[in-house]
Amino acid sequence: MTATIGPVKATPYLWPYDGTVGVDHVALVCIDWQTDFCGPGGYVETMGYDIALTRAGLPATARLLAHARSLGMLVIHTREGHDPDLSDLPANKRWRSAQIGAEIGGQGPCGRILVKGEPGWEIVPEVAPVAGEVVVDKPGKGAFYATNLDLVLRTHRITHLILTGITTDVCVHTTMREANDRGYECLILSDCTGATDPSNHAAALHMVTMQGGVFGCVSTSDDVVEATEPSNHPTHRPKAD
Amino acid sequence: MITVDARPAPFSFATDSTALLVIDMQRDFLEPGGFGESLGNDVAQLRRTIGPLADFMVKWRAAALPIIHTREGHRPDLSDCPPAKLTRGKPSMRIGDPGPKGRILIRGEYGHDIIDELAPIDGEPVVDKPGKGAFYATELQDLLDQGGITSLLVAGVTTEVCVHTTVREANDRGYECLVLADCVGSYFPEFQRVGLDMIAAQGGIFGWVADSTSVPL
Repeated sequence: MTATIGPVKATPYLWPYDGTVGVDHVALVCIDWQTDFCGPGGYVETMGYDIALTRAGLPATARLLAHARSLGMLVIHTREGHDPDLSDLPANKRWRSAQIGAEIGGQGPCGRILVKGEPGWEIVPEVAPVAGEVVVDKPGKGAFYATNLDLVLRTHRITHLILTGITTDVCVHTTMREANDRGYECLILSDCTGATDPSNHAAALHMVTMQGGVFGCVSTSDDVVEATEPSNHPTHRPKAD
Repeated sequence: MITVDARPAPFSFATDSTALLVIDMQRDFLEPGGFGESLGNDVAQLRRTIGPLADFMVKWRAAALPIIHTREGHRPDLSDCPPAKLTRGKPSMRIGDPGPKGRILIRGEYGHDIIDELAPIDGEPVVDKPGKGAFYATELQDLLDQGGITSLLVAGVTTEVCVHTTVREANDRGYECLVLADCVGSYFPEFQRVGLDMIAAQGGIFGWVADSTSVPL
Protein backbone atom coordinates (compact mmCIF):
# COMPACT_ATOMS: atom_id res chain seq x y z
CA MET A 1 0.00 0.00 0.00
CA THR A 2 1.17 3.47 -0.86
CA ALA A 3 1.87 5.98 1.86
CA THR A 4 -0.87 8.55 2.31
CA ILE A 5 -1.21 12.08 3.61
CA GLY A 6 -4.24 13.56 5.32
CA PRO A 7 -6.30 14.69 6.91
CA VAL A 8 -3.77 17.40 7.82
CA LYS A 9 -4.62 19.85 10.59
CA ALA A 10 -4.94 23.07 8.60
CA THR A 11 -6.84 26.33 8.26
CA PRO A 12 -9.65 26.71 7.23
CA TYR A 13 -10.36 22.99 6.74
CA LEU A 14 -8.71 19.62 7.24
CA TRP A 15 -6.53 19.23 4.15
CA PRO A 16 -7.07 17.88 1.57
CA TYR A 17 -10.71 18.53 0.73
CA ASP A 18 -11.06 14.87 -0.29
CA GLY A 19 -9.78 13.54 3.03
CA THR A 20 -6.62 11.70 2.20
CA VAL A 21 -4.31 11.38 -0.77
CA GLY A 22 -1.68 8.86 -1.82
CA VAL A 23 1.80 10.34 -1.87
CA ASP A 24 2.09 9.28 -5.51
CA HIS A 25 -0.44 12.03 -6.30
CA VAL A 26 1.25 14.72 -4.22
CA ALA A 27 4.18 16.94 -5.18
CA LEU A 28 6.31 18.96 -2.80
CA VAL A 29 7.02 22.22 -4.59
CA CYS A 30 10.01 24.22 -3.37
CA ILE A 31 9.86 27.68 -4.84
CA ASP A 32 12.90 29.88 -5.55
CA TRP A 33 15.15 28.92 -2.65
CA GLN A 34 17.92 30.72 -4.52
CA THR A 35 20.87 32.68 -3.24
CA ASP A 36 19.42 35.71 -5.02
CA PHE A 37 16.41 35.57 -2.68
CA CYS A 38 17.87 34.24 0.57
CA GLY A 39 21.66 34.20 0.37
CA PRO A 40 24.28 36.78 1.28
CA GLY A 41 25.04 39.10 -1.63
CA GLY A 42 21.95 38.06 -3.60
CA TYR A 43 19.25 40.15 -5.26
CA VAL A 44 17.07 40.53 -2.15
CA GLU A 45 19.96 41.58 0.05
CA THR A 46 21.16 43.97 -2.68
CA MET A 47 17.72 45.61 -2.62
CA GLY A 48 18.30 46.26 1.08
CA TYR A 49 16.05 43.64 2.67
CA ASP A 50 16.90 41.43 5.66
CA ILE A 51 17.58 37.91 4.39
CA ALA A 52 17.00 36.50 7.88
CA LEU A 53 13.31 36.87 6.99
CA THR A 54 13.56 34.94 3.73
CA ARG A 55 15.87 32.31 5.29
CA ALA A 56 13.51 31.64 8.19
CA GLY A 57 11.77 28.73 6.47
CA LEU A 58 14.93 26.87 5.44
CA PRO A 59 15.35 24.48 8.41
CA ALA A 60 11.73 23.32 8.35
CA THR A 61 11.82 22.95 4.56
CA ALA A 62 15.01 20.87 4.76
CA ARG A 63 13.33 18.54 7.29
CA LEU A 64 10.20 18.24 5.15
CA LEU A 65 12.30 17.53 2.06
CA ALA A 66 13.96 14.61 3.87
CA HIS A 67 10.51 13.34 4.85
CA ALA A 68 9.17 13.65 1.28
CA ARG A 69 12.23 11.92 -0.15
CA SER A 70 11.85 9.04 2.31
CA LEU A 71 8.27 8.60 1.09
CA GLY A 72 9.24 8.73 -2.60
CA MET A 73 7.12 11.83 -3.11
CA LEU A 74 7.68 13.86 -6.27
CA VAL A 75 9.84 16.88 -5.42
CA ILE A 76 9.88 19.89 -7.71
CA HIS A 77 12.19 22.87 -7.36
CA THR A 78 11.70 26.15 -9.15
CA ARG A 79 14.16 28.91 -9.98
CA GLU A 80 13.34 32.40 -11.16
CA GLY A 81 15.82 33.65 -13.72
CA HIS A 82 16.46 34.91 -17.19
CA ASP A 83 18.56 33.92 -20.18
CA PRO A 84 22.00 35.63 -20.28
CA ASP A 85 20.92 37.74 -23.29
CA LEU A 86 17.84 38.86 -21.24
CA SER A 87 15.59 38.08 -24.21
CA ASP A 88 12.95 36.72 -21.80
CA LEU A 89 13.07 39.71 -19.44
CA PRO A 90 10.06 42.05 -19.79
CA ALA A 91 11.16 45.66 -20.14
CA ASN A 92 9.08 46.83 -17.16
CA LYS A 93 10.54 44.14 -14.88
CA ARG A 94 14.05 45.26 -15.81
CA TRP A 95 13.19 48.94 -15.36
CA ARG A 96 11.65 48.41 -11.93
CA SER A 97 14.61 46.38 -10.66
CA ALA A 98 16.92 49.19 -11.82
CA GLN A 99 14.78 51.76 -10.00
CA ILE A 100 15.30 49.90 -6.74
CA GLY A 101 19.06 49.64 -7.27
CA ALA A 102 19.42 45.97 -8.22
CA GLU A 103 18.99 45.74 -11.98
CA ILE A 104 18.31 42.24 -13.28
CA GLY A 105 21.20 41.27 -15.53
CA GLY A 106 23.54 43.71 -13.81
CA GLN A 107 26.59 42.63 -11.82
CA GLY A 108 26.05 41.89 -8.15
CA PRO A 109 28.20 40.27 -5.47
CA CYS A 110 26.94 36.83 -6.62
CA GLY A 111 27.29 37.36 -10.36
CA ARG A 112 24.71 38.79 -12.75
CA ILE A 113 21.46 39.27 -10.86
CA LEU A 114 18.75 36.65 -11.63
CA VAL A 115 20.60 35.33 -14.67
CA LYS A 116 20.68 31.59 -15.36
CA GLY A 117 23.98 29.93 -14.56
CA GLU A 118 25.21 32.63 -12.19
CA PRO A 119 26.11 31.76 -8.55
CA GLY A 120 23.27 33.88 -7.16
CA TRP A 121 20.71 32.04 -9.27
CA GLU A 122 21.59 28.63 -7.77
CA ILE A 123 19.48 27.00 -5.08
CA VAL A 124 21.04 27.25 -1.61
CA PRO A 125 22.72 24.06 -0.32
CA GLU A 126 20.29 23.48 2.60
CA VAL A 127 17.48 22.54 0.18
CA ALA A 128 19.39 21.81 -3.03
CA PRO A 129 17.88 19.32 -5.49
CA VAL A 130 19.20 15.76 -5.55
CA ALA A 131 19.54 13.62 -8.66
CA GLY A 132 16.18 12.81 -10.23
CA GLU A 133 14.28 15.78 -8.84
CA VAL A 134 12.60 18.12 -11.27
CA VAL A 135 13.88 21.69 -11.53
CA VAL A 136 11.60 24.16 -13.31
CA ASP A 137 13.08 27.42 -14.56
CA LYS A 138 10.60 30.25 -14.73
CA PRO A 139 10.89 33.79 -16.09
CA GLY A 140 8.10 35.19 -13.90
CA LYS A 141 6.68 35.02 -10.41
CA GLY A 142 4.27 32.20 -11.24
CA ALA A 143 5.76 28.74 -11.84
CA PHE A 144 3.12 27.81 -14.44
CA TYR A 145 3.45 30.62 -16.97
CA ALA A 146 5.96 29.89 -19.76
CA THR A 147 7.18 26.67 -18.11
CA ASN A 148 6.48 22.93 -18.38
CA LEU A 149 5.31 22.59 -14.76
CA ASP A 150 1.69 21.76 -15.60
CA LEU A 151 2.82 19.09 -18.06
CA VAL A 152 5.23 17.60 -15.51
CA LEU A 153 2.49 17.44 -12.87
CA ARG A 154 -0.10 15.92 -15.19
CA THR A 155 2.43 13.40 -16.53
CA HIS A 156 3.07 12.28 -12.97
CA ARG A 157 -0.69 12.24 -12.22
CA ILE A 158 -0.24 14.81 -9.48
CA THR A 159 -3.44 16.36 -8.11
CA HIS A 160 -2.28 17.83 -4.79
CA LEU A 161 0.54 20.29 -4.08
CA ILE A 162 2.40 21.15 -0.89
CA LEU A 163 4.07 24.53 -1.26
CA THR A 164 7.23 25.86 0.36
CA GLY A 165 9.49 28.69 -0.67
CA ILE A 166 9.99 32.39 -1.00
CA THR A 167 8.63 34.86 -1.00
CA THR A 168 5.22 34.12 0.46
CA ASP A 169 3.35 37.05 -1.04
CA VAL A 170 5.10 37.12 -4.42
CA CYS A 171 6.27 33.88 -6.05
CA VAL A 172 4.60 31.39 -3.70
CA HIS A 173 1.25 33.17 -3.83
CA THR A 174 1.33 33.66 -7.60
CA THR A 175 2.13 29.99 -8.09
CA MET A 176 -0.57 28.89 -5.63
CA ARG A 177 -3.15 31.03 -7.45
CA GLU A 178 -2.12 29.56 -10.81
CA ALA A 179 -2.27 26.02 -9.40
CA ASN A 180 -5.65 26.63 -7.79
CA ASP A 181 -7.19 27.86 -11.06
CA ARG A 182 -5.86 24.69 -12.71
CA GLY A 183 -7.66 22.53 -10.16
CA TYR A 184 -4.74 21.45 -7.97
CA GLU A 185 -5.56 21.11 -4.26
CA CYS A 186 -2.93 23.25 -2.54
CA LEU A 187 -1.45 23.45 0.94
CA ILE A 188 0.93 26.29 1.85
CA LEU A 189 3.16 25.86 4.91
CA SER A 190 3.61 28.85 7.21
CA ASP A 191 6.91 27.60 8.63
CA CYS A 192 8.39 26.79 5.20
CA THR A 193 7.78 30.20 3.61
CA GLY A 194 8.88 33.78 4.26
CA ALA A 195 8.70 37.30 2.88
CA THR A 196 10.77 40.46 2.79
CA ASP A 197 8.07 42.07 4.95
CA PRO A 198 6.63 40.05 7.86
CA SER A 199 3.23 41.71 7.57
CA ASN A 200 3.01 40.68 3.91
CA HIS A 201 3.84 37.10 4.95
CA ALA A 202 1.02 37.14 7.49
CA ALA A 203 -1.47 38.82 5.16
CA ALA A 204 -0.69 36.43 2.33
CA LEU A 205 -1.35 33.42 4.56
CA HIS A 206 -4.53 35.01 5.88
CA MET A 207 -5.83 35.63 2.35
CA VAL A 208 -5.58 31.91 1.56
CA THR A 209 -7.90 31.03 4.42
CA MET A 210 -10.78 33.37 3.55
CA GLN A 211 -14.04 32.33 1.90
CA GLY A 212 -13.67 28.69 2.90
CA GLY A 213 -10.13 28.49 1.55
CA VAL A 214 -10.24 30.51 -1.64
CA PHE A 215 -6.82 29.25 -2.77
CA GLY A 216 -6.50 26.17 -0.51
CA CYS A 217 -5.24 25.74 3.06
CA VAL A 218 -2.48 26.83 5.44
CA SER A 219 -0.63 24.41 7.72
CA THR A 220 2.84 23.57 9.03
CA SER A 221 5.46 20.99 8.14
CA ASP A 222 4.99 19.23 11.48
CA ASP A 223 1.29 18.80 10.79
CA VAL A 224 2.06 17.31 7.37
CA VAL A 225 4.51 14.83 8.90
CA GLU A 226 2.01 14.05 11.65
CA ALA A 227 -0.70 13.29 9.09
CA THR A 228 1.48 10.95 7.03
CA GLU A 229 0.60 7.26 7.03
CA PRO A 230 3.75 5.47 5.86
CA SER A 231 3.73 2.62 3.42
CA ASN A 232 4.90 -0.88 4.22
CA HIS A 233 7.00 -0.74 1.08
CA PRO A 234 9.21 2.05 -0.15
CA THR A 235 7.89 3.85 -3.19
CA HIS A 236 10.13 4.03 -6.21
CA ARG A 237 9.42 6.88 -8.48
CA PRO A 238 10.78 6.88 -12.04
CA LYS A 239 13.37 9.53 -12.63
CA ALA A 240 12.23 12.53 -14.59
CA ASP A 241 14.38 13.88 -17.40
CA MET B 1 1.43 59.43 -23.82
CA ILE B 2 -0.64 59.99 -20.73
CA THR B 3 1.16 60.11 -17.39
CA VAL B 4 -0.54 59.30 -14.09
CA ASP B 5 0.71 60.26 -10.66
CA ALA B 6 0.91 56.75 -9.16
CA ARG B 7 2.59 54.56 -6.55
CA PRO B 8 5.49 53.74 -6.50
CA ALA B 9 6.31 55.99 -9.48
CA PRO B 10 4.50 57.83 -12.29
CA PHE B 11 2.77 55.51 -14.77
CA SER B 12 2.74 56.42 -18.47
CA PHE B 13 0.62 54.79 -21.14
CA ALA B 14 -0.09 55.25 -24.84
CA THR B 15 -3.76 55.48 -25.74
CA ASP B 16 -3.34 53.21 -28.77
CA SER B 17 -1.96 50.30 -26.75
CA THR B 18 -3.91 50.42 -23.47
CA ALA B 19 -7.16 48.78 -22.41
CA LEU B 20 -9.34 49.10 -19.34
CA LEU B 21 -9.91 45.65 -17.82
CA VAL B 22 -13.04 45.43 -15.65
CA ILE B 23 -13.00 42.28 -13.56
CA ASP B 24 -16.06 40.36 -12.34
CA MET B 25 -18.47 43.22 -11.59
CA GLN B 26 -21.21 40.58 -11.42
CA ARG B 27 -24.52 40.56 -9.57
CA ASP B 28 -23.49 37.41 -7.68
CA PHE B 29 -20.65 39.35 -6.05
CA LEU B 30 -22.07 42.86 -5.76
CA GLU B 31 -25.82 42.88 -5.30
CA PRO B 32 -27.69 42.73 -2.01
CA GLY B 33 -29.33 39.31 -1.78
CA GLY B 34 -26.67 37.74 -4.02
CA PHE B 35 -24.18 34.94 -3.49
CA GLY B 36 -21.50 37.15 -1.95
CA GLU B 37 -23.85 38.60 0.62
CA SER B 38 -25.31 35.15 1.38
CA LEU B 39 -21.82 34.09 2.53
CA GLY B 40 -21.95 36.82 5.15
CA ASN B 41 -19.95 39.41 3.23
CA ASP B 42 -20.63 43.15 3.36
CA VAL B 43 -21.37 44.04 -0.26
CA ALA B 44 -21.19 47.76 0.57
CA GLN B 45 -17.40 47.31 0.59
CA LEU B 46 -17.62 46.38 -3.09
CA ARG B 47 -20.45 48.68 -4.10
CA ARG B 48 -18.45 51.81 -3.28
CA THR B 49 -16.45 51.11 -6.45
CA ILE B 50 -19.49 51.33 -8.75
CA GLY B 51 -19.78 55.14 -8.81
CA PRO B 52 -16.11 55.92 -9.50
CA LEU B 53 -15.83 53.11 -12.03
CA ALA B 54 -19.01 54.13 -13.88
CA ASP B 55 -17.69 57.70 -14.09
CA PHE B 56 -14.32 56.50 -15.32
CA MET B 57 -15.89 54.22 -17.95
CA VAL B 58 -17.83 57.21 -19.33
CA LYS B 59 -14.60 59.17 -19.74
CA TRP B 60 -12.73 56.16 -21.16
CA ARG B 61 -15.46 55.46 -23.73
CA ALA B 62 -15.67 59.17 -24.62
CA ALA B 63 -11.98 58.92 -25.52
CA ALA B 64 -12.85 55.90 -27.72
CA LEU B 65 -10.55 53.61 -25.71
CA PRO B 66 -11.12 49.85 -25.37
CA ILE B 67 -12.79 48.12 -22.43
CA ILE B 68 -12.63 44.38 -21.75
CA HIS B 69 -14.97 42.86 -19.15
CA THR B 70 -14.54 39.54 -17.36
CA ARG B 71 -16.97 37.25 -15.55
CA GLU B 72 -16.14 34.31 -13.30
CA GLY B 73 -18.42 31.35 -13.87
CA HIS B 74 -18.88 27.79 -14.96
CA ARG B 75 -20.73 25.70 -17.49
CA PRO B 76 -24.16 24.50 -16.35
CA ASP B 77 -22.88 20.90 -16.11
CA LEU B 78 -19.94 22.11 -13.95
CA SER B 79 -17.51 20.22 -16.18
CA ASP B 80 -15.06 23.13 -15.93
CA CYS B 81 -15.26 23.45 -12.15
CA PRO B 82 -12.41 21.71 -10.29
CA PRO B 83 -13.72 19.39 -7.54
CA ALA B 84 -11.62 21.19 -4.94
CA LYS B 85 -13.25 24.53 -5.82
CA LEU B 86 -16.71 23.03 -5.67
CA THR B 87 -16.48 21.26 -2.35
CA ARG B 88 -13.76 22.70 -0.19
CA GLY B 89 -14.62 24.44 3.02
CA LYS B 90 -18.15 23.03 3.07
CA PRO B 91 -19.82 26.30 2.06
CA SER B 92 -23.48 26.86 2.88
CA MET B 93 -24.07 27.41 -0.84
CA ARG B 94 -22.05 25.78 -3.57
CA ILE B 95 -21.35 26.83 -7.13
CA GLY B 96 -24.26 25.56 -9.23
CA ASP B 97 -26.76 25.57 -6.35
CA PRO B 98 -29.98 27.50 -6.82
CA GLY B 99 -29.42 30.96 -5.36
CA PRO B 100 -31.40 34.16 -5.05
CA LYS B 101 -30.39 35.24 -8.55
CA GLY B 102 -30.32 31.87 -10.32
CA ARG B 103 -27.77 29.08 -10.12
CA ILE B 104 -24.68 30.43 -8.42
CA LEU B 105 -21.80 31.41 -10.73
CA ILE B 106 -23.30 29.57 -13.70
CA ARG B 107 -23.00 31.08 -17.16
CA GLY B 108 -26.31 32.34 -18.51
CA GLU B 109 -27.88 32.88 -15.08
CA TYR B 110 -29.04 36.34 -14.02
CA GLY B 111 -26.65 36.53 -11.08
CA HIS B 112 -23.66 35.63 -13.24
CA ASP B 113 -24.09 38.69 -15.43
CA ILE B 114 -22.56 42.13 -14.98
CA ILE B 115 -24.48 44.70 -12.94
CA ASP B 116 -26.63 47.13 -14.93
CA GLU B 117 -24.62 50.20 -13.87
CA LEU B 118 -21.49 48.85 -15.60
CA ALA B 119 -23.05 46.82 -18.41
CA PRO B 120 -20.83 46.32 -21.47
CA ILE B 121 -21.82 48.20 -24.60
CA ASP B 122 -21.72 46.87 -28.15
CA GLY B 123 -18.23 45.98 -29.25
CA GLU B 124 -16.76 45.51 -25.77
CA PRO B 125 -15.58 41.94 -25.30
CA VAL B 126 -16.69 39.93 -22.28
CA VAL B 127 -14.24 37.20 -21.25
CA ASP B 128 -15.71 34.28 -19.31
CA LYS B 129 -13.19 32.68 -16.99
CA PRO B 130 -13.42 29.53 -14.87
CA GLY B 131 -10.82 30.65 -12.33
CA LYS B 132 -9.65 33.68 -10.44
CA GLY B 133 -7.14 34.72 -13.08
CA ALA B 134 -8.45 36.14 -16.38
CA PHE B 135 -5.62 34.65 -18.48
CA TYR B 136 -5.89 30.96 -17.62
CA ALA B 137 -8.22 29.00 -19.93
CA THR B 138 -9.56 32.14 -21.66
CA GLU B 139 -9.07 34.11 -24.88
CA LEU B 140 -7.82 37.24 -23.09
CA GLN B 141 -4.23 36.94 -24.32
CA ASP B 142 -5.46 36.66 -27.94
CA LEU B 143 -7.71 39.69 -27.53
CA LEU B 144 -4.83 41.76 -26.19
CA ASP B 145 -2.46 40.56 -28.93
CA GLN B 146 -4.96 41.38 -31.67
CA GLY B 147 -5.58 44.82 -30.22
CA GLY B 148 -1.88 45.57 -29.83
CA ILE B 149 -2.45 46.12 -26.12
CA THR B 150 0.62 46.29 -23.89
CA SER B 151 -0.71 48.24 -20.89
CA LEU B 152 -3.76 47.63 -18.73
CA LEU B 153 -5.76 49.79 -16.36
CA VAL B 154 -7.38 47.35 -13.96
CA ALA B 155 -10.66 47.70 -12.05
CA GLY B 156 -13.10 45.27 -10.45
CA VAL B 157 -13.53 42.82 -7.59
CA THR B 158 -12.23 41.48 -5.40
CA THR B 159 -8.90 43.20 -4.89
CA GLU B 160 -6.98 40.35 -3.28
CA VAL B 161 -8.55 37.47 -5.21
CA CYS B 162 -9.47 37.97 -8.87
CA VAL B 163 -7.86 41.39 -9.38
CA HIS B 164 -4.59 40.26 -7.78
CA THR B 165 -4.47 36.93 -9.59
CA THR B 166 -5.08 38.62 -12.94
CA VAL B 167 -2.53 41.39 -12.34
CA ARG B 168 0.06 38.77 -11.35
CA GLU B 169 -0.67 36.83 -14.55
CA ALA B 170 -0.49 40.01 -16.64
CA ASN B 171 2.75 41.14 -15.01
CA ASP B 172 4.50 37.82 -15.71
CA ARG B 173 3.39 38.20 -19.35
CA GLY B 174 5.07 41.62 -19.55
CA TYR B 175 1.96 43.85 -19.43
CA GLU B 176 2.24 47.10 -17.52
CA CYS B 177 -0.66 47.31 -15.09
CA LEU B 178 -2.10 50.31 -13.28
CA VAL B 179 -4.57 49.23 -10.60
CA LEU B 180 -7.26 51.86 -10.00
CA ALA B 181 -7.48 51.99 -6.20
CA ASP B 182 -10.94 53.58 -6.03
CA CYS B 183 -12.32 51.16 -8.64
CA VAL B 184 -11.23 47.89 -6.99
CA GLY B 185 -12.86 46.50 -3.88
CA SER B 186 -12.55 43.79 -1.27
CA TYR B 187 -15.10 42.54 1.26
CA PHE B 188 -12.31 43.02 3.82
CA PRO B 189 -10.78 46.49 4.38
CA GLU B 190 -7.51 44.94 5.61
CA PHE B 191 -7.08 43.05 2.33
CA GLN B 192 -7.98 46.12 0.29
CA ARG B 193 -5.12 47.99 1.94
CA VAL B 194 -2.51 45.22 1.91
CA GLY B 195 -3.58 44.08 -1.56
CA LEU B 196 -2.80 47.50 -2.99
CA ASP B 197 0.41 47.76 -0.96
CA MET B 198 1.65 44.44 -2.35
CA ILE B 199 1.18 45.64 -5.95
CA ALA B 200 3.39 48.66 -5.38
CA ALA B 201 5.97 47.00 -3.07
CA GLN B 202 9.61 46.40 -4.05
CA GLY B 203 9.60 49.11 -6.69
CA GLY B 204 6.23 48.05 -8.09
CA ILE B 205 6.72 44.30 -8.21
CA PHE B 206 3.34 43.71 -9.86
CA GLY B 207 2.54 47.19 -11.17
CA TRP B 208 1.34 50.66 -10.23
CA VAL B 209 -1.52 51.99 -8.09
CA ALA B 210 -3.52 55.24 -8.43
CA ASP B 211 -7.08 56.50 -8.12
CA SER B 212 -9.10 56.79 -11.33
CA THR B 213 -9.43 60.52 -10.71
CA SER B 214 -5.65 60.81 -11.12
CA VAL B 215 -5.87 59.65 -14.75
CA PRO B 216 -5.88 62.86 -16.83
CA LEU B 217 -8.31 62.02 -19.62
